[in-house]
Amino acid sequence: MRLAVVEDNVELAQLLSRGLQEKGYETDILTTAAEAREAVTSTRYAALVLDLGLPDGDGLSILREVRQRKDPVPVLVLTARGGVHDRVNGLRSGADDYLVKPFAFEELVARLEALLRRPGQMLGRSLQVANLVFDTESRQTFIDDKPQVLSARETTVLELLLRRKDRVISKKLVEDHIFGNAGEVASNAVEVYVHRLRKQLAERGAKVQIHTIRGVGYLLAEEK
Amino acid sequence: MISFKSIFSRIIFLHVIALVITAIFMPVVLYWFLRSAANDLHAQAMREQAGLVAHYLQLRDDGHWTLDLPPALQDLYSQAYGRYAYAVIDDTGHVLFSSSKEQTAIFPQDRRSPEVAFLETRRGDARLSGVSIARRMGEHMVWIEVGEDLAHRDVIIDDIVADFFMRVGWIILPILFFLLLIDVVIFRRALRPLVHASESAKKINPARTDLRLSEESIPDEILPLVQAVNQAFDRLEVGFRVQREFTADAAHELRTPLTILRSRVETLADKTAAAALKRDIDAMSRIVSQLLDIAELETFAIDPAERADLRDICAELAEFAAPLALAQGKHIALSGAADSVRVNGSGEMIARAVRNLIENALNHSPAGQTVEIVVEKPGVVRVLDDGPGIKSDERELIFRRFWRRDRRRSGSAGLGLAIVKRIADAHGAIVKVENRAGGGAAFSLIFA
Repeated sequence: MRLAVVEDNVELAQLLSRGLQEKGYETDILTTAAEAREAVTSTRYAALVLDLGLPDGDGLSILREVRQRKDPVPVLVLTARGGVHDRVNGLRSGADDYLVKPFAFEELVARLEALLRRPGQMLGRSLQVANLVFDTESRQTFIDDKPQVLSARETTVLELLLRRKDRVISKKLVEDHIFGNAGEVASNAVEVYVHRLRKQLAERGAKVQIHTIRGVGYLLAEEK
Repeated sequence: MISFKSIFSRIIFLHVIALVITAIFMPVVLYWFLRSAANDLHAQAMREQAGLVAHYLQLRDDGHWTLDLPPALQDLYSQAYGRYAYAVIDDTGHVLFSSSKEQTAIFPQDRRSPEVAFLETRRGDARLSGVSIARRMGEHMVWIEVGEDLAHRDVIIDDIVADFFMRVGWIILPILFFLLLIDVVIFRRALRPLVHASESAKKINPARTDLRLSEESIPDEILPLVQAVNQAFDRLEVGFRVQREFTADAAHELRTPLTILRSRVETLADKTAAAALKRDIDAMSRIVSQLLDIAELETFAIDPAERADLRDICAELAEFAAPLALAQGKHIALSGAADSVRVNGSGEMIARAVRNLIENALNHSPAGQTVEIVVEKPGVVRVLDDGPGIKSDERELIFRRFWRRDRRRSGSAGLGLAIVKRIADAHGAIVKVENRAGGGAAFSLIFA
């Protein structure tokens, strides 16, 4: 799988690219906006790692051009400024996610993989955390390679949590996914499903933990 | 000297003084003019009368003088009328003719000079004022004196002079008052551009450095001041821009090397050393971020149109902080208002303030405990922790830059709460520190 790393700092670009190669990705390093423009139009990348501060232009303008061509390539934006403004601008211009420098390399990989695992993207069909594996095509859950039977709604919740492993998904998002626009939903409905899922996973020996962030949402992480 | 705050009242005050002086002096001067005009008229009348008397004076061949005044003139000088008097004196001082019964001269002090002399004398109660003119007749010189009893003169001219204040002078006062009213209007109009200029100056702040004072309709006297102020604003704007650019550049120049450093450390074979280095780098990254925040806050001002939702901000921050908290074995929870809590202000800046409060709370909470974020209407964010709390003598100190309770502890620069305070101040919000009943600290950000 080929990734484009658009970063004007050659040293950082090389470090990132080396790290990504170790994880099994091929990478192209692009250090100017002009290079990046040419490369992203001629090559089909699995994802773009895009630094916003480029010497010959704003990374955001490249992003806008990509989106104007209706290119669905996932874009992870890197920015030196952590302001909400920059973030909102980046996401509005079509970034799928962003990371504020300095970031941990594992974080970059995790975010990239989350993007690549999105429906329709290139990374494999399965989501895995510890001994828990989820096949996104067959929507089948495995614990220690043993298939598990979960209800459709429990499966939906699990997929959401797995796609955003180690990050919070809001209660509202879960609600929307389970019930769609079904209108009135009992206020504790989501809690009930999450509680049930948590119990099921624990009983079946999954080494994952679903944390409740009260008032915010849920987070799935590897069991410590 | 009384000092006035406003130019307007200063001008009006000085103007009133000027009007009072005018109101006093103008009638006095006019009176004086009127009087001297009356005196001139009198002197001229006297000279003409003396000339007329001289006209009827004759020196006969026998050396006798005759004065044949026509009856009209005789009446004028009659004792009965008592207003005018004449006398003719020869060069020895002998009175040749006189309108008085006693045949005396009018002016005893008459020196009989060749020029016209203006003289005055008292006779009983009467005050006689008149002239003495010299005439040469043959070889003789005679002086004709004519006088008028000034007590009688008021019949015509002195009436005018004396009644001046009563009849004419008073009109000066309303005229001056009216003038004052007109001037008030004029001054107001003249000062209006200044008032407008100061109003537009009020709107200029770090968020709106692009505004300038209008130079249109500014009077020439004040234009240089307005231009100078505008030039000062130009320089200020450049200063702000340079500072903002510097902050942006500094962010990039500092954060990229830190990212490189971190990535490089991750490739180290010695995982224990790598972990320690990563912690150091994270602490340093945090300090760099806070310093950049502080630098950015120097040029920050609220856009009055901006609104922020405290509930949204806190939910996003809780999502962001939850993985960090869990990694430290701590928890985060959000409670309070279920819907939007809107306040005036910059969402980005408020988020930074609350984020610092959350980080602060997490740092001071023991493992296993929950940092609680509470959003309340109409505009309050509380961050509650289970840490040691804040001693009462430290409640002011903690908001100082670089203040730390324990200087030996690394990983904190003591900037977080200073940032919180600065952002709160910029929003006109209050930061309140309390100790919770069950232990721990409660920081409240209260928006007006």
